[in-house]
Amino acid sequence: MSARAESLEAACDLRFGQVGIACVRVRRVDAAALVEELERRVRSAPQMFTRAAVVLDLSHLPRLPDDGMVDAMLEAIRSAGMLPVGLAYGTSETEALAERMGLPLIAKFRAQYEPAQGEAAAAAPAPVAATPRAAEPAPVPGVEPGAAATAQHHAGSAVRSGQQVYARERDLVVAAAVANGAEVIADGSIHVYGSLRGRAMAGAQGDETARIFCSDFRAELVAIAGHYRVFEDIPKEFEGQAVQCWLDSGKLMIARL
Amino acid sequence: MTEIIVVTSGKGGVGKTTTSASLATGLAIDGKKVAVIDFDVGLRNLDLIMGCERRVVYDFVNVVHGEATLKQALIKDKRHETLYVLAASQTRDKDALTQEGVEKVLNELTAEGFDFVVCDSPAGIEKGAHLAMYFADHAVVVVNPEVSSVRDSDRILGLLSSKTRRAEKGEAPIKQHLLLTRYNPNRVEAGEMLSVKDVEEILGISVVGVIPESENVLAASNAGVPVILDENSNAGQAYKDTVARILGNERPLRFLEPVKKGFLKRVFGG
Repeated sequence: MSARAESLEAACDLRFGQVGIACVRVRRVDAAALVEELERRVRSAPQMFTRAAVVLDLSHLPRLPDDGMVDAMLEAIRSAGMLPVGLAYGTSETEALAERMGLPLIAKFRAQYEPAQGEAAAAAPAPVAATPRAAEPAPVPGVEPGAAATAQHHAGSAVRSGQQVYARERDLVVAAAVANGAEVIADGSIHVYGSLRGRAMAGAQGDETARIFCSDFRAELVAIAGHYRVFEDIPKEFEGQAVQCWLDSGKLMIARL
Repeated sequence: MTEIIVVTSGKGGVGKTTTSASLATGLAIDGKKVAVIDFDVGLRNLDLIMGCERRVVYDFVNVVHGEATLKQALIKDKRHETLYVLAASQTRDKDALTQEGVEKVLNELTAEGFDFVVCDSPAGIEKGAHLAMYFADHAVVVVNPEVSSVRDSDRILGLLSSKTRRAEKGEAPIKQHLLLTRYNPNRVEAGEMLSVKDVEEILGISVVGVIPESENVLAASNAGVPVILDENSNAGQAYKDTVARILGNERPLRFLEPVKKGFLKRVFGG
């Protein structure tokens, strides 16, 4: 019976996970310069970059280089000691190119999290400001389908522990509670009309004028444009109060409304 | 139409199996045809609480893998004609269950004319818990009046509204029922325990029942009798009220007030 039982079990599991992967964003078509730049990077942090998997991002070039040039760039990455594993971003042209190169196109998650013209160092929606250009952090882990990736608001239903809501390039309005262990993130300002017990991060792309408003303050953490404050104990003067948070020359301010 | 109810919590030891047993029994007392399934493969307990542990021949995993028919594996309750138990396997692990297999079993139960299927979820948010909630129409989220249980329940409520068939197909959401168990009004009054109001406020939904902490629960579990059958215990009566509310009847919440010790007890202790 046990032999039979074994044969009934699947031969493998297919799982999706999110991993941080370095992204080589090409700014000009020059394979020789690319080798030089990447070699310098690998030398500076061999532990991190030697045989590191990287994706090649051609989206910042005015137009897609021809196949021979792309081949040369892939070769340049290899000769610098890294391993190209795919192409980033997805116009249909890139897709066709990826197919010709026999490489996967790693597109979907990036497209969700970066503005179309993302020169501003793609600040991850996390309370860390500067991220090295070559090694962008993976996008927000653990986003559940129920939590819409872009939302003007998340009306009515609470943001539960473990869920994330991200409003890209706009404000976020949450008309319910944000639980402990939940995260609400916006490139603009955040308004929470229930209890804010979790984390709120406004100005995720670096907008220092973004603000956080909430009607019942019990947050674990608030951040604006990467400047953050954690609250191990909720300050007595703000607990349960309606407050707003803003940045005043790099300092995160909180005041009752 | 068969209604599938998942009893879940995230955290372990809050009373999921006790609740599953009493809920299934309560529905059967009401004349409904009920199957209660233990999804806790590897750590089966439901058969003990239901008092049928010595009658388990085939289990849920056998049926999922086609090693036994559903009819062979369903254990008829010795007290109630319309109540059946499907035990978990103690010797396998949670990966022995598959989504297709679970769906097949639930479809068969539907075809057999069951009114309710109660799915007793394992703790955690891994595969077993996911499969237990995936096909549900109702969810009874069991929570204890303490912060870690409340947070885990919050997580589960989030998963119920995103990681279930109803959510994935964009159908009407699962009906969520919050059940507060091991409630001790005296300790709430002393500020040692969260109150019903605290829990409702944090989770943003109202309770379908409050089961008082009671010695009878442990005694009933050890005896293999669902506590709902213990007419003399507050917990049993509270479960009866809860089942009635889930069936759409109104019942006032009981046993929320602290029990004042009498004069003699105060003098002599007790």
